[in-house]
Amino acid sequence: MAYTNKLHVIYGDGSLGVGGDGFHYIFSYERGGLESLKINGKEWLYRTPTPTFWRATTDNDRGSGFNIKSAQWLSADCFQKCTGINVQVDDHDFAGLPLDNDHYSNDETADQVVITYTFATLTVPSTTVTVEYTVMVGGPIKVHAHYTGKEGLPELPVFGIRMIMPSAATGFKYEGLSGETYPDRMAGAMHGTFDVEGLPVAKYLVPQENGMHMATDWVNITREITQNNADHSQEPFSMKVAKDQDPFAFSCLPYTAEELENATHLEELPLERRTVLVIAGAVRGVGGIDSWGADVEKQYHIPADQDIDFSFILNA
Amino acid sequence: MDADIKWLDDPETFRVNQLPAHSDHRFYGNYAEWAHHASRFVQSLDGQWQFKFANTPAERQPEFYNPALDCSDFDEIAVPSEIELSDYAQNNYINTLMPWEGKIYRRPAYAVDGENKEEGSFSQGEDNTVGMYRKTFDLAPSLRGKEIRVRFEGVERSMYLWLNGHFVGYAEDSFTPSEFDLTPYIQDEDNVMAVEVFKNSTASWIEDQDMFRFSGIFRSVELLAQPVTHVEDMTIRATVDDNYQDGHFGLQLQLDGEEGGSVRVLVKDADGNTVVSTEKAVAEKVTIDDVALQGVHLWDNHHPYLYQLLVEIRDQQGQLVELVPYRFGFRRIEINADYVVLLNGKRLIINGVNRHEWDDHRGRSVTMADMISDIRTFKENNINAVRTCHYPDQLPWYYLCDDNGIYMMAENNLESHATWQKMGKVDPSYNVPGSVPQWKEVVVDRARTNYETFKNHTAILFWSLGNESFAGDNIAAMGRFYKEHDDSRLVHYEGVCHTHDYSKQIPSLDKTTYLPAGGTKDYRDQISDVESWMYLPPKQVEEYLKNNPDKPFMECEYMHDMGNSDGGMGSYIELLDKYPQYFGGFIWDFIDQALQVKDPVSGKMVMRYGGDFDDRHSDYEFSGDGLMFADRTPKPAMQEVRYYYGLHK
Repeated sequence: MAYTNKLHVIYGDGSLGVGGDGFHYIFSYERGGLESLKINGKEWLYRTPTPTFWRATTDNDRGSGFNIKSAQWLSADCFQKCTGINVQVDDHDFAGLPLDNDHYSNDETADQVVITYTFATLTVPSTTVTVEYTVMVGGPIKVHAHYTGKEGLPELPVFGIRMIMPSAATGFKYEGLSGETYPDRMAGAMHGTFDVEGLPVAKYLVPQENGMHMATDWVNITREITQNNADHSQEPFSMKVAKDQDPFAFSCLPYTAEELENATHLEELPLERRTVLVIAGAVRGVGGIDSWGADVEKQYHIPADQDIDFSFILNA
Repeated sequence: MDADIKWLDDPETFRVNQLPAHSDHRFYGNYAEWAHHASRFVQSLDGQWQFKFANTPAERQPEFYNPALDCSDFDEIAVPSEIELSDYAQNNYINTLMPWEGKIYRRPAYAVDGENKEEGSFSQGEDNTVGMYRKTFDLAPSLRGKEIRVRFEGVERSMYLWLNGHFVGYAEDSFTPSEFDLTPYIQDEDNVMAVEVFKNSTASWIEDQDMFRFSGIFRSVELLAQPVTHVEDMTIRATVDDNYQDGHFGLQLQLDGEEGGSVRVLVKDADGNTVVSTEKAVAEKVTIDDVALQGVHLWDNHHPYLYQLLVEIRDQQGQLVELVPYRFGFRRIEINADYVVLLNGKRLIINGVNRHEWDDHRGRSVTMADMISDIRTFKENNINAVRTCHYPDQLPWYYLCDDNGIYMMAENNLESHATWQKMGKVDPSYNVPGSVPQWKEVVVDRARTNYETFKNHTAILFWSLGNESFAGDNIAAMGRFYKEHDDSRLVHYEGVCHTHDYSKQIPSLDKTTYLPAGGTKDYRDQISDVESWMYLPPKQVEEYLKNNPDKPFMECEYMHDMGNSDGGMGSYIELLDKYPQYFGGFIWDFIDQALQVKDPVSGKMVMRYGGDFDDRHSDYEFSGDGLMFADRTPKPAMQEVRYYYGLHK
């Protein structure tokens, strides 16, 4: 398809493929999400990205009982229920899936493809989250996540999109704030471009939420190996995630919140074999007045009854 | 006199034949020895000692101190070190509750009804492990023929000492030096020193610090020979005049040994210029009255300017017999009429940390390298003050703070929160020291020892009576001791806030959270020059500051740095700009208490915290509240501390 700079669209029976020069994406209907994010022949997804709501309980969270108050968000984080998928190709909104697809060819093109996944949270009451992928000519994907505020839900530990990559990154580079930052602990950080080697986990005695980077303009993640048995290259390869309109927060760790949650010591964590990238639109503060009851200051909470919107660019 | 194991049960017996506490000055035979840090009068006894361990007092080796004893079944242990870290006894981390919680029912002697002596409580304690130490040594030639003492810089928790089969003395107060005169029993060669160390005694009730509970000779042991004439004690008085430019220097010496000869006192500035030079005849007491000095260099965090004091003792032939060097500074701390704390006439702001002595391999037996590293970390991160929580630290730490301009809150070895803090409730049903008469002298002695030992350290701006011990007549007596002996520093104690009704000063605070339900005598007027709280949220701090504060305010502990924490620090720091009566605080705390051990599963070196040694009851990961990980790498929050502490440097 090198003869066109348009997106190549493949109307599959279980997915929508979108390709172009140096990239190919598969949006799965069966798995409820982006199943393949291939850039220059390298796969970037282990499983489909999902909304994320949980952070591994911090010592302060445990002390204040926040983990208990907000425990519903742990199950919502673990188990994702996709309730709807919508496809729009250029101006045409399929109002669902384009499954009446026998009249297409292998040369279908478009300037823009938008796939929207809707999730119902496993909370009581339930609310919805939509994740909208807008694939643009050349390959960048704008990801827009929307959380629908709902009365009666406990405050959120975090709201973001979690992507798990097939192998552990050798490092990442980002432009934003130095060190580990949270909304209530970022005054001391310097703005700059920072190179991080490997996927460091802060050595808190009990593994817990760590490694957040607030106010980020972009992050570039580098890996060296893939799971593809025919891929013999050891050359490093990278993917960039950039801000859309507003800077974002992210953490890039070898573990999910649940893996961290389950360990009482660092050495109990699994071998590092994946990269877990969380792009967060809302981050709760860590607090610090004490570790046995004091709440995080109010302005650093994430109320559940208000909408949250954020967006970023994948493969920027 | 014979040793009596019942002293372990008696709060009124806490030192037997121990020499009075005195200034921590070092002494040398001449200038060359000083230059090489090698005094002819000092012999270290650090190193390998013979060691035998007993799980209970009943299982001790009888007469283990007998020089003729066959010790072939003794092991060896390093001195200084913690017995538990050589795996004789179980590691245990516990915060508030006593380490025997759920295992042994105990109450402090006299505390419940004023009568019950609780005999046998510790002397027959099934949990009272015992370390029996023996050291065979020859006296170094330069020490022979002189009066000889031994100084134990720190032994947890109660120690009995024998030399060559003779009982010498008994000491408690684990964190201050204990000195004994060995002269009657010392030989030039083949001395056998024996030390019996009990993990528990009545002192356990008042050494209930939030920490791993260790025992053993965990600080250095030295033999000290007395020069023929010797400066036994020294009190430097360096005051700053009301113009904050000029000063006065005074000195009091207490001399031991031969009379005759002379005392020459020199003070030199940092450029080596002599600013005081005076000579007196040797006498039991030698006093240099206040010498007026114009334009003194003041000591503070930014410019820790120290003057060099030199005391030369010469015999009648004019031969130098002792040289005592000491570095000191001129600084003045006071509270002005508006209740603002001033240092050298300017507002003082404490950007502080609480610091337990900790090394992830050695426990509280920290090294000089640990101390130097900590000072460097302070300087790199704008930390200008340290609270020695909750006991006096090793001697070199005070010198390092003098040299580096680190403001010290020098705290007594006192914490008894188990006796009044029951699952978060203020319930002083058997509080010690409280106002129990039999518990008064032991704590006043701790105040005296802390004062006498460290009184010449410029860095100390505050004496702190202890931590979380509630308040009563006995803590008031400690405070009075300092007031009677030292007008150059302020006295701090937080626990008194549990005796005062703050309805007018901090209206939003629920009284039941800080006052005992049964009521209490109010000690606020008697105890503490400053209003000190711990973990009071910024809003309540502001309430106090808004409501006509009649004492300057500080947080002796705040920003609890357990795990991923230190959020919201700005809310405290901005109060500094709004209220001059607020003078900052000490972050809890500097370094995680965790032990590095080899994980039997992965074979890796890993960090272990409370409960990881099957120790129960434990407070688990609560041991890790530091700005530093236990391996002395900074936690991510450190950049935040560096920033906020940099705003009011």
